[in-house]
Amino acid sequence: MGRWAHRTHLAGLLAVAAFACGGEGKRSTPAPGLTVTDDVGRVITLPDAAQRIVSLSPAATELVFALGAGDRLVGRTTWCDYPPAALAVPSVGDGLNPNIEAVVARRPDLVILYRSPLDEPAAAQLGRLGIPAVVLEQDRLEQLAHASRLVGQLTGRAHAGDSLADALTALLARPAPPSHVRLAFVVWDTPPVVIGGGSYLDQLASLAGATNVFHDVSGASASVALETIVARDPDVIAVLRDTAAREATPPAFTRRPEWHAIRAVRERHLVYLVGSLFGRPSPRAEQAIAEFERLLAEAGR
Amino acid sequence: MKALALGSVAVVAMVLAVVLGPAHVPLADLATSEIVRSLRLPRAILAFLVGGALALSGAGLQALVRNPLADPSLLGISGGAGLGAVVAIALHVTNPWAVPLAAFVGALGAMGLVYRLGIMGSGGVGLDSATLLLAGVAVGAFAAAVTTSIVSLSDAAQLRNAQLWLWGGLSGASWQTVALLCVYAPVPVLALLASARSLDLLALGEEPARHLGVDVPPLKRRVYVAASLLTAAAVAVSGVIGFVGLVVPHAMRLLWGHRHRPLFPAAFVGGGALLALSDTAARVVVAPRELPVGIVTALVGVPVFVLLLRRWTSR
Repeated sequence: MGRWAHRTHLAGLLAVAAFACGGEGKRSTPAPGLTVTDDVGRVITLPDAAQRIVSLSPAATELVFALGAGDRLVGRTTWCDYPPAALAVPSVGDGLNPNIEAVVARRPDLVILYRSPLDEPAAAQLGRLGIPAVVLEQDRLEQLAHASRLVGQLTGRAHAGDSLADALTALLARPAPPSHVRLAFVVWDTPPVVIGGGSYLDQLASLAGATNVFHDVSGASASVALETIVARDPDVIAVLRDTAAREATPPAFTRRPEWHAIRAVRERHLVYLVGSLFGRPSPRAEQAIAEFERLLAEAGR
Repeated sequence: MKALALGSVAVVAMVLAVVLGPAHVPLADLATSEIVRSLRLPRAILAFLVGGALALSGAGLQALVRNPLADPSLLGISGGAGLGAVVAIALHVTNPWAVPLAAFVGALGAMGLVYRLGIMGSGGVGLDSATLLLAGVAVGAFAAAVTTSIVSLSDAAQLRNAQLWLWGGLSGASWQTVALLCVYAPVPVLALLASARSLDLLALGEEPARHLGVDVPPLKRRVYVAASLLTAAAVAVSGVIGFVGLVVPHAMRLLWGHRHRPLFPAAFVGGGALLALSDTAARVVVAPRELPVGIVTALVGVPVFVLLLRRWTSR
């Protein structure tokens, strides 16, 4: 049974590949289409607005839905959990180092990938199969704005894409409220890993009126010594969580003696951020900022 | 003279570990600083104990299997510990002691399996050295394969975190971990020290050692279990720190000769000093970031080892 399923699947894959190659040949005469350049310099041309989209990142999935093209999504990753309608879309597995067979089996006419060393070869592979694939940076708000314009064009929703991009850009240009809280994002404890200045969370913090004490660390995240956190003495420690459950137990590090050298841990000044809203740049950035402000005010009380 | 020099190196290493750090603590405040008292001091002591345990364990294992390549990670123990830790991380166990405990259990599991295979290899009488090495490599490779499957099936954040743990680090140091190791380590350390004379004879070969009155099978079992227990505890509190257990014993052999009575204490002090120095470098060099200490032990230790080797061979 399993073997038969595998064979039919493989046959389907070959048929798709042959079809796709044939399609490429016919398109050699310049046709009016949509041409964009993605974030790694690949030029992608679609004959028409994409109708079958596979999104290989949670942020891109949210973006496609926000632009009103959610009904054209035919594949998503295991980690795409928003909006709820996304859960009805078949999953193709992981977004990083994606399973090409599973992606191709969805017969997409557009695949959106997250920019990472693992995904660029996958995009090239899809290109060889004749499937248009765009690689987009999605780590910061301005990158999401740019992605919004591109995805808007490719889905025939250029207007929606541009206006979302403008809204996100305006959010970034908004004068930041005066910072009244100094915080550190702790995402792992053995060894301690904190969020640095090159991240979306750092952007959210400053837009919500807080200062990330590790803003000077240029990367998205970095492993640091505990004594560095003690010396920088944040007022609040922010932690990413899977759920919003308020009764959730505090993270394990709050029970380790060496972490009690940190004032915010000793005084239990912790803020829990739900991963699906805060963990990735999304069209819901404004909501995330408002929620962040509320949580910080609560923690300060 | 040599002992004095090694002792001074160790003292300097410990002083540096307490004085230097990414956070600035004025010299005048060293005695009163919370950072020094509850973070730097236990971390320096833990680094010394872990480095010493790994180097001593490596020296013991090299004598046991009479192979210069033997080290704690070659005998599958680190692989088992890594597997245990990754299982605990993947299961989202929130108890702060879950990861070290799981690593310890994994190390003991690997040790038991390799021991069983070693006994089988000798036909049930003692531990066969060649089988022990082969079994260690095989069990280690199997544990690594399972670890990698778990890591590649878990989500991206977990994957990165598990990798960080596997590279090793002393960030979990507290007075509790130091106390735990101080209570635990003396028994295996004394068992190894007590075997020093017999291991000298074993170096001549198993047959000659037997003629000289060494009861070989129990000696090998004792050394194997003691070295494994030491490694298991070291890996549980600090992750997988490679290189110390392999090269420090060789470096000390170049200076002290092959007799185990002086070699074992020298290896302990040398390993402790190397790990304390490496950890200080890991904290300071790229501050405010921190390097995985296992990378630094190799970066610091290899050049030192090459220098020693050159001096020794050009004599």
